[in-house]
Amino acid sequence: MNSLAAIPYNTLVVAVAVAVVGFASGVVGCFGVLRRRALAGDAAAHATLAGVVAAFVVTGRRDLPTLLVGAFVAAMASLGCLVVIRRFTRTRDDAATALVLSVSFGIGIVLLSGLSARGIPGAGGLEQFLLGHTAALTATDAITLAVVSAAVVLVVWAGLKEATLVSFDPAFAAATGWPVAVIDYALVALVAAMVVVGLPAAGAVLVTALVVIPPVAARQWTDRVPTMLILAGVIGLVAAVGGVAASAAVPRLATGPTIVLVASGLFAVSFFCAPERGWFARRRGV
Amino acid sequence: MTDSGASACPAVEFHDVTVAYGRRPVLWNIDLVIKAPGLFGILGPNGAGKSTLLKAALGLVPLVGGRVTLFGRPLAEVRSRIGYVPQRETVDWDFPVNVMDVVLMGTYARLGWWRRPGAAERDRARAALERVGLVDLAGRQIGRLSGGQQQRVFLARALAQDAELYFLDEPLAGVDVRSQERIFRVLDDLRREGRLVVVVHHDLRTAADWFDGAALVDMRLVAAGPTAAVLTPENLRRTYAGHIDVLDELGRAVERGGRTA
Repeated sequence: MNSLAAIPYNTLVVAVAVAVVGFASGVVGCFGVLRRRALAGDAAAHATLAGVVAAFVVTGRRDLPTLLVGAFVAAMASLGCLVVIRRFTRTRDDAATALVLSVSFGIGIVLLSGLSARGIPGAGGLEQFLLGHTAALTATDAITLAVVSAAVVLVVWAGLKEATLVSFDPAFAAATGWPVAVIDYALVALVAAMVVVGLPAAGAVLVTALVVIPPVAARQWTDRVPTMLILAGVIGLVAAVGGVAASAAVPRLATGPTIVLVASGLFAVSFFCAPERGWFARRRGV
Repeated sequence: MTDSGASACPAVEFHDVTVAYGRRPVLWNIDLVIKAPGLFGILGPNGAGKSTLLKAALGLVPLVGGRVTLFGRPLAEVRSRIGYVPQRETVDWDFPVNVMDVVLMGTYARLGWWRRPGAAERDRARAALERVGLVDLAGRQIGRLSGGQQQRVFLARALAQDAELYFLDEPLAGVDVRSQERIFRVLDDLRREGRLVVVVHHDLRTAADWFDGAALVDMRLVAAGPTAAVLTPENLRRTYAGHIDVLDELGRAVERGGRTA
């Protein structure tokens, strides 16, 4: 292929959409990481599988918007469970997260295997939400994902001041009259939305990588939140596009793991080579 | 502010305030009136509920009973007149913000939703940084400051709020002598400007020098009033009963008239 025109229209649209999804995941993930809620996103991600299967069982449809609405409902439900467990039991945060993650993922797997054991027509392909598979995306689906991602980025950018304040110093934010809980839930909901949007590309098991690794890598290079958001977006974009391209080139290679590998590579570079915070710089500094 | 209510009503009034974490009471029937202007110390042993008292005034913990009024009104109506300096350990100092970013947060409440700080806010933040002597470090990431400098950043953020009533939670904990003096000079200026500064403080040896009013708290209010009248051996014994280790040291401090800072 030596010109853009040689790439099929559908592939091109999917590639652009995945780029936007990757960018948005990195941006939104920054506040998950800064607020120390990275694992909550992972619990939400694992819960999406149950949501996808349940949406299919309930509606009998398997178009992407229907399945992703189911995924979003499941993600928010799992986060709701986390809030309830934290509030009404003495379970510690990490244990509560692990509990919600494994239980909700278990439900998803049971539903999925129950469907395929009964040979329900039309259920085939749902297992692609486990590890991600972009080849099946239509141009329309891809555009939907891109539009939602762009909207999420705009919301984060508009609320940058509020999100930074609440993430840095929630007590001061509350004392000065900001509705900390509302802003907190909004941030978590945005992370959940991005986890759902990233689902077709990266899959339920690994989609968290898209909202966690780029922010952590970006933090190495900068000491300012706005710069961190942009860098995380770019790293997420490169990881998502790289992962999709590699899995398109190699038959039967799942997209999710490939994205994670590319993202991890970028993280490794950031970890070692970043000025000031990087491993080499710190060794030299000592 | 031209509000005459500020002088007519006491700046801070606790009426029968009780706070509990779970079933364990932390504050019990606190009745306390603090008038502006002044530098007022909240004193007491560790775990006595000093910080909780501030948080109760700021609406950060639910009250089991009683109520708090500020300038004679409920908190929600007067929030913009109140500044707050939380404990330094409550935030992550590795957070990717610089000194200026943090001080600007003091202007956010007045800006309201979505609006970003502009030139006026930057001027206010810069003036606040000048008062605490950190204007040269405005661009530095906050983790690369000493403990005393970090505390002064928090104070500058509160100054940028331009409040009439300030609550400070342990502003001198883990702070070098130079920063301590700087901080107290600023607090003293605030008092001279007619404001009320309420400080949670753990070091009794310095209390008599700095505060003109004080309250001794150990879950209940033991005593409140002018500092000299409050820090009597008898009151200290009642407050610190069960804290034998500090008692001896306190006794000695009191004998020397609290002038050992």
